[in-house]
Amino acid sequence: MTLLSDIISASAHLHDSNHLPSNEYDRRIRELVEYFRRLQSTKALDSFANDVSFLDRFDPAIDSIPYLFVLHVQIQKAQELNADPFPAALCPSGKLWTYASHFLARFDGVQVRYAGREWRLLVELVGQVSQTASMPLLGATLVKDAMLRLDPSCAVFTSSHLLLVRLCLQAKAYSCALPVLNKQICHFPISLGRSSSEPSMLCADHGSSISFMTEASGVSSKLSYRDYLQYFLYGGMVYMALKEWRNALHFLGIVISTPSTSSVSLIMVEAYKKWVLVGLLEKGKLCSPPSIATPHVVKVYQSLARPYIILAHAFERGDLRRLNAEIDAAKGVWCADNNVGLVSQVVGAFFSQTVIKLGKTFAALTVADLSKQVFPSPVCTEATGSAVASLVMSCALSATLVQTKDHTESSMLRFSSIHSLPQLSNELDIQSQLKQEMRLMETLVINLGETNNNLGLSDDYVDSLHKGQVWSGSSEANPIVGGEAELEMDEDLMGDMS
Amino acid sequence: MELPPLTMEHLSQLVASNAPPSQLFEALSRYELQACLICTGGDSTLLSLFYSSFFLVHLLTDQVSEARALTKRIPEALLEQDPSLQNCLTLLRAVWQTQHGQVYQILRGLPWPDVLQPLVRRYESFFQDKTLIAVSRSYEAIRLATAAAHLGLDEQLAKQEDPNIISNFTKCGWTWDAESKLLQPKPIVVSPEEPRSSSGIRKAMAMLGTRAV
Repeated sequence: MTLLSDIISASAHLHDSNHLPSNEYDRRIRELVEYFRRLQSTKALDSFANDVSFLDRFDPAIDSIPYLFVLHVQIQKAQELNADPFPAALCPSGKLWTYASHFLARFDGVQVRYAGREWRLLVELVGQVSQTASMPLLGATLVKDAMLRLDPSCAVFTSSHLLLVRLCLQAKAYSCALPVLNKQICHFPISLGRSSSEPSMLCADHGSSISFMTEASGVSSKLSYRDYLQYFLYGGMVYMALKEWRNALHFLGIVISTPSTSSVSLIMVEAYKKWVLVGLLEKGKLCSPPSIATPHVVKVYQSLARPYIILAHAFERGDLRRLNAEIDAAKGVWCADNNVGLVSQVVGAFFSQTVIKLGKTFAALTVADLSKQVFPSPVCTEATGSAVASLVMSCALSATLVQTKDHTESSMLRFSSIHSLPQLSNELDIQSQLKQEMRLMETLVINLGETNNNLGLSDDYVDSLHKGQVWSGSSEANPIVGGEAELEMDEDLMGDMS
Repeated sequence: MELPPLTMEHLSQLVASNAPPSQLFEALSRYELQACLICTGGDSTLLSLFYSSFFLVHLLTDQVSEARALTKRIPEALLEQDPSLQNCLTLLRAVWQTQHGQVYQILRGLPWPDVLQPLVRRYESFFQDKTLIAVSRSYEAIRLATAAAHLGLDEQLAKQEDPNIISNFTKCGWTWDAESKLLQPKPIVVSPEEPRSSSGIRKAMAMLGTRAV
């Protein structure tokens, strides 16, 4: 029998396995992957390295494993032959690119759990090629689809997360990142040291993807805290581009409140600068960092982002002249920090935020009076009226306008309106928000359960601990907690260092 | 399902189809990858039609920020030379600045290619519906001429209190006070489940009777 017919037969062996019990299916996939790894290491697959029709014989949706392994061999050969990491065949429109994109759009998510490393290498390669060819959009779309295909929950942070967000920013295809960015990240890939959490069957239906997205699976390259910070900073930037300030603030908050032992990372400082500006855009004030950020870190931020703090104070005081003066004085800073766009939006938001603040003092104001309150120098009432109407109509301002018969008479802006929307509208809004919250809670509960398992806090663990205490008898000290007489809290952990 | 190649014929059919905006968006999003590949020395007429259509579909699905991002993805040379894409940029500016009057002027007055007309008309209708909802929620009392300006109706006729103009609003449940010469809008409620769908707005219109314009 030839190698080709061997491969076809081995792969076909898996086709009929869908109806099998999970453990049998698991065994067969493992055997198939082992078989291909052997063929790869013995260079037996090299005989298909130049066989362009080989991959046409397989459907990546059914034969994901052979397709992936042979595609890797063909890519490797093309790279070696051309002495180029990105040969023409691998560039967009090239034959190998077509096969790679065909695979990433159709592979079987369960089979690929067993070949995570090979999958990840292909995803990374596609990203790199698209960047080199100045077509990051192609890479971003493929990477996003592949990530969602492998793990629809995207709850485990992987190196692909960072790759995707980076590609989306480069491609200026912001909404392409949203299907992943909007998912809750609950885990890092873990190393399975304990038998209790070892996933015996990767193919089984797992409540949480942490069961198969492990460190050993190879779906992620080694992660550092820098990757984690960058992902949330870039994610925040995607939300900023889409003007989703609230989400941007949430992502930036994660970066600036990341625990740090000694020094503060530059990424965190950069995030803090954006945090100040986004806080002004979303809330109209200088937002304090999340409470988990330690005071010394906050002090470092404030000293390194001085011009931003001064700008925020000018904004908060409602002094437009001072705000403009501060912006002009620190032009070089905004430019060097790549925050010119955000700063210019802060000026734009000054009007809306000042009007919103006036709503806390006044129940109603004529547009003419409002104009006097907001602008230091006289501004055409018509222009103010048009700006106020835009604010109200875009729902940025919760108020209503009342016009009078006489068009020369200024319209009235009512902050506390009796003309509120019918109750139905509020109820629909609340219902929709509740549904979203419920979905989020469901995701969190599933993932928290998994985290508890991993931390050894599951009910099973507590039960077994309890049984252990009963068995050990009252005279014996608890082997885990120790004798009560010996329980002491060392309050000053660093006392011996002083 | 395999995506058919991006051609003028196929694109024209897609643009002229009455498919829901979300479906059009989905289909054109997938074609953007092909457009990316055509960009290197490809058919500029096809690219112009593709990007103009995709831009209008972004607006039709109420994705203004993403429409702006799309204009940054269009090859610069094409964007600068193509009249249709220049129209898109002018339209984007007007929508971004919520200049209602200008939006209608651009949609009705600028020379849009025939192929794009179905999308231009659909967006005009969508924009009117969206504005009608916003006006209904934002004003307790509004002059007829102001309401007409927001909705792209004839302002001169509105100043003359034309009954047809008035009936456009009263059909939606609004009240016309002949003494104060003011309209009192009735807030229109739309399900938050379909924030990007023009069909959601149309359902609201149906609840109130016929559409205003």
